[in-house]
Amino acid sequence: MAASARDLNQRDLNQHFGLEGYSSNVLKLFMEHLDQQPQSRLLDVGPVCQENIRFFASRVWKHYVCDLFIRLDRYLRKGDPVYQIWKDLDYQPESFDGILVWELADRLDEQDVNRLVTLCHSILKPGGMAVVMVMGDQIASSETRSFVVGQNYRIYLRPQLHLDLPLRGRQNRDVLSMMTPFIPAKSFICRPGFMEFLFRRG
Amino acid sequence: MLKKSKKANAEPKVSNSPVTMVDRTIIGDQIYIEGTIRGEEDLLIEGSVKGSIEMKANHLTVGSKGQVEAEVRAANVTISGKLEGNISATGRVEITKAADFNGEIKAKSISVEDGAYLKAVIELEREPTQKAVPLGKPEVKSPSVPTKEPLTLAGKDSKGN
Repeated sequence: MAASARDLNQRDLNQHFGLEGYSSNVLKLFMEHLDQQPQSRLLDVGPVCQENIRFFASRVWKHYVCDLFIRLDRYLRKGDPVYQIWKDLDYQPESFDGILVWELADRLDEQDVNRLVTLCHSILKPGGMAVVMVMGDQIASSETRSFVVGQNYRIYLRPQLHLDLPLRGRQNRDVLSMMTPFIPAKSFICRPGFMEFLFRRG
Repeated sequence: MLKKSKKANAEPKVSNSPVTMVDRTIIGDQIYIEGTIRGEEDLLIEGSVKGSIEMKANHLTVGSKGQVEAEVRAANVTISGKLEGNISATGRVEITKAADFNGEIKAKSISVEDGAYLKAVIELEREPTQKAVPLGKPEVKSPSVPTKEPLTLAGKDSKGN
């Protein structure tokens, strides 16, 4: 049974989720790809996270951050249509070498997931990579968390208590299905069910 | 040429004008300025500013009530209000959770609180190249040949290596 993140400190939280010390293989591969680009452009769709901004901005040429999580949260709180978040993803086609989607898809319904995937495919350069993460059943929670990248690509979870977003609870097969326009490049699973995917635009 | 001494500003008697407190000027929340602001002392904006702000050796703070639409050049910048525009800082840019920022940031370092409302392009001074330790060439699977078991345990790829 998943405990409330509010009752756990950061160390306990990651031990609880079995992610302490987990080194992300997908992020290593993702950065290898970006390292090969002469003027790499990376888009992170949030949640805003200082550690990740420092980590990625010091390694790529231009690091773009457009926090769609907080935008989604604001529209939901106001009762406004969710599709308005897409107006902020207004980048030119083929702008990015990589996109960090994290677990945004797990916070969207089918219609908006399709919109997300279509937009990401459009703004990603051919050969560009997208990172998608999914919580397994054992660690799934309605509480939104950021994936904080530490030394050696270690992933830590940090609750984002200011966000109140629905959880759709997608499985790995759902992710592969929703990302159909992309080519699956690599996927890994970490006990107890945290999954990470790397997709490539053909 | 008109001049205003710091001392005169230090004890303001006229409301709704920029106020200097210690070594920082405050633009109050009832002030609207359009144009260029240049200075050699720290500045706190709680009002509205549109244009450009140049204070290359000093600290600009956009307070929680501040609304700024400007090109900014400063040593350090702290944002707790709304700022739309590009920032060039020789030092640090600090974005608090109350901030609403849209624009480009070029800085030596940056700090961002969880909860900040952000759409940004960030360029930091690059660290010495930190290449990822290769895991091997990523295996690319054809979308037309779906795998039954695409997932493997952590630390192993789909071939168990």
